[in-house]
Amino acid sequence: MRASGDLLMAALHSASEELSGKGVRFEVFARLGESTRLSRGASGILERCSSREFGVGCRVSGRDGAGFGAASGSGARAGREAARIALGTMLPAPDPLPPRSVLGATGTSLPHDVPESERIEEVLGDVAARMSGGRHGVMLVQARVLAGTSAAALATGEGFHAGAKAGGTVMELLVAPPEGPWRHFHFAAPAVSDLDPVTIAERVQETALLATRGSQPVRQLADVLLAPAVAAPIVEALVRYLTAASDKNREVRVSGAWHLTDDRLGPEGLLPLPWDGEGLPARRIDLIRSGEVGERLATWELAERFGGRPGGAVRPSYRHPPAAGPANLVVHPDPSTTQSKLLGRMANGFYLAVPAGAVRVDATEGRFGVQAAAVALQDGKPAATHPLVELRGSFRRLLAGLLAVGADSESFSLGCAVTTPSLLFRRLEIV
Amino acid sequence: MERDQPAGLAELAAAVTRSQVPGLEDLYFERRAESLWRLAAGHVVAREASLHEGTAVRRDGQLLSGDGLDRPVLANLLGIASRTLPSFSAPRFPESPSLEHALGEPPAGWTSVRWRWSWAAVLTGRKAVTVTRPQLAEVTLADGQRALFCWPPEASTSPESPVAQTATAVRPGKVRVLLAPTATTVLLHELVGHPLEGDLLVRGASPWSRRIGERIMRLPLWVTDDPTRTDLPGAFSADDEGTTAAPRPLLAEGVLAGALADRRTAESLGIEPGNARRAGVHSPPRPRISNLVATARGTLPEPPRTDAAIEVLALSSGTLEPASGVVMLRVRTAFSLRRGTRRHVLAPFTLVGTVDAVTGGLLAAAEPSDRGAEPGWCAKDGEVVPTGGFAPWLLLEGLEVR
Repeated sequence: MRASGDLLMAALHSASEELSGKGVRFEVFARLGESTRLSRGASGILERCSSREFGVGCRVSGRDGAGFGAASGSGARAGREAARIALGTMLPAPDPLPPRSVLGATGTSLPHDVPESERIEEVLGDVAARMSGGRHGVMLVQARVLAGTSAAALATGEGFHAGAKAGGTVMELLVAPPEGPWRHFHFAAPAVSDLDPVTIAERVQETALLATRGSQPVRQLADVLLAPAVAAPIVEALVRYLTAASDKNREVRVSGAWHLTDDRLGPEGLLPLPWDGEGLPARRIDLIRSGEVGERLATWELAERFGGRPGGAVRPSYRHPPAAGPANLVVHPDPSTTQSKLLGRMANGFYLAVPAGAVRVDATEGRFGVQAAAVALQDGKPAATHPLVELRGSFRRLLAGLLAVGADSESFSLGCAVTTPSLLFRRLEIV
Repeated sequence: MERDQPAGLAELAAAVTRSQVPGLEDLYFERRAESLWRLAAGHVVAREASLHEGTAVRRDGQLLSGDGLDRPVLANLLGIASRTLPSFSAPRFPESPSLEHALGEPPAGWTSVRWRWSWAAVLTGRKAVTVTRPQLAEVTLADGQRALFCWPPEASTSPESPVAQTATAVRPGKVRVLLAPTATTVLLHELVGHPLEGDLLVRGASPWSRRIGERIMRLPLWVTDDPTRTDLPGAFSADDEGTTAAPRPLLAEGVLAGALADRRTAESLGIEPGNARRAGVHSPPRPRISNLVATARGTLPEPPRTDAAIEVLALSSGTLEPASGVVMLRVRTAFSLRRGTRRHVLAPFTLVGTVDAVTGGLLAAAEPSDRGAEPGWCAKDGEVVPTGGFAPWLLLEGLEVR
C-alpha cells in the first residue's frame, strides 16, 4: 500500500486534471482513514475489524451553476470519478466556493500514528480483567474500542493546497448491573495510551450501581445536575439547533454562566484541526458568551448570503459537501466549582449520571429529550434513585437556565468532539 | 474494462481457493451509487452524487476492509501477491435516474430525496454469489423525519407528518391505542424483530432468550422476516454471507417460532443461517431484520376506532430496553378519538410499557394492512441497514402515556 501522502496527492492531481479546462471553479477534498475496531463480548471472544477508507469529494461551480460529486476507490481513479460526476450534478445555484484570498491554515496538525492492534487489545483486556468477576454484581456485557487516524488534503483550482492529520480513540462499554437497565459508557481520548483502564473500570462499576432500582418520578419541573456524559450530547444538540435557528430564535435570554466555544484551533478539546471544512484558517468561535448567543457557525456561502463570518464549516466525510456545524466544542469549566459545590447549590432536584440512548430533538419546536439514570436529592442529600428518567425541555430554557458549571471536564466523540464539565440547570422537566 | 454484468468472479473464487490463504472465511465486494436532490418548495435546488466501492475479507477471525474494488486492494487484504489473482470486474455503476421522470413535481413538504443503487457479491470457497437489492428512495421532511421506500418514490406514499394545527397535550396515564400500519411495523420491529436477532439471543440480551416455542400473546399474529418481498426496502436475493434469501417465520399464531441468524450465531442456536447483513464493506455481517411482514387470523374489516382513545399514525422512534423489557414508543402523529371519530391532534408524546404488558395487551388486528415507510433505516451498534415492513392496524392496551 502506498503512503497516505502519495495516495492523497494522486487523487488531488487526477481530479484537478479532470476539472481543469472545463471552465469551472473547483475544490477537491481527499481523505484517507485507517481504523481498527476491537469488540469483546462477555465470553471474552474478540472481534477484530481493520479498515482503510479512501475517497474524494469535488465541488464545482461555473456558468451552469454548482454541483458536488464523491467517489471512493483507489487513488487517482477515485479523483477522476468524483470530478466527472460532480460536473454531471451542476444545477443553477450561487457559487458556494470561497475565494482563494480567504483560504489558509492556522497552526499545525497533530501527528498521529495508526494504533497497533496489540496495544488496543491490551487496553481492552485490562479493562475486562478489572471488571471480571462482576464486582458488586456489575457484569461487562460488551467492550469496544475504535482507534483510528485520518489524513486529509484540500486543493482548489486557484492553487490553494493544505493538508491535515487527526486521530482519536473511543472506548464503549455495555454493562449489566445486578438489576435495572443495562448501562452504556463512552470514553474518548486522543490516543489509546490516553485511556486509563484502572480509572475506567472503577468509574464504570461505581456509576453503574448508582440507580439500579426505584420507581418513576412524578412529572415535575426540577433543578437538574447533568454529569458530563449526559451534558455532552445535549450541548451538541443545542449548537446544532442554534446553527440552523432563525435570528429570532437566537435572540433569547442567556445565562451568564455559559461560555461555549467551537475551539477549532485547540489546545482545548479533542479534535483541533488547522483549517475548516472549506480550507479557511481554523479559529476559536465563541458560540455563547457573556449572556449572549454569539457567532453562528457558517460556511462561506451561508455567510455571504445571510451575513456573518465564514469558517464554521465541517466535513465529517469526503462523501458530503462541507456544511455549517460544530467541530470541537468546549464548555469552559469553572475550576473553583467542585461537584460537591454544585450539589450543594441544588438542594432539591435530580442528578443525572448516565445517559440512556441518544438525545431526541424536535428542531421545529426547539425542544429536546434524553433519558438517563438519576438520583433525586432533597436538602442536598440523596432521597431516591430512578433507573430511567426522561429529561425534557426547550433549548430556550436550556440557554436561560444554566446556573453553574463544574470543574470536571471530560471529552466525548459524538457527532463532533465535545468537552464539557457537569452542568447545573434550573427547572427542566423530569418525567 | 467496465461491463454491465460482473465478470470473472467464479475464476477469482477458484484462484483465491488455490492461494490457500490461512483462515479465509469469505470475500465481499460492494458497489453503491447514490444521488441526492435537495428540495425547496417543491423544486430541486441542489444535487449531489456519489459512487462507492469496496472489498472486505474475513480471515483469521477478523474483518479486513478497504475502499476500492480491484486486484491490488484484494491482494493486500488477502496478504498475497496481486499477480496470483485473475482480473475481475463488478457491473458498471448505473446512471442516476431522473427525479423529474420518476416523480414529477415533488410535494412541497419534502426537503430531499435520495436514490440508492447497490450491488454486492460474496465469494465463499469456490462459490461466487451475487446479491441484488431493490433500488431505494429515501424522503426527508421539513422536521427531519425520514421515510424509506423502494424506488421510485410516490407523492402519495409521503410519510405521515404532524398535522399543521394546534396540538393538544395528551393526559398521562394508561390508555388504549390504535396503531396504524406504519406505527405497527415500528412496534413489531422492536418487539419481535430485534429481540430475535441471533447475536442478542446468544448474548442473553433479549427478553426472548430461551423462550422460542412459547406463546407470548393471545392475538393470533404471524410475523415473518421476508427478504424476498422485493417491494419492500430490506429485500435481497442472498444475504451478505451468500445464503439464498428465504422467508423466516418469527412468530406463528402468537408463538415464538424462529430467530434471525448469520453463520456464527446459527451454529450456537442450532438453526439455518440466511439473515446476515452488512452496513457496508467496513462492517462485519450480523443477524439483522430485512422486512417484517405481519398477518393475523380474524382481522377486523376496518380499524376499530370506537374501541380506542388514541389513534397513532406515525412514530418517530421505538426502543426496547433488553434487561428491563421496557418498550418505549415516541409518537409523532396522533389523534384523540371520541366515539370513533378524530377529535384533537395530539402533541408528540411517549408511550411506555413492559414487553409482557404490550404483548399481553394486543387485542385485535384490522385491515387495511399496508407497507410502513418506517422504521426504514435501522441502526444497531451504529451500523445502519435498510428495513421494511407490512402490517395491519393493531388495537392494544398495556401502554402508558408519559
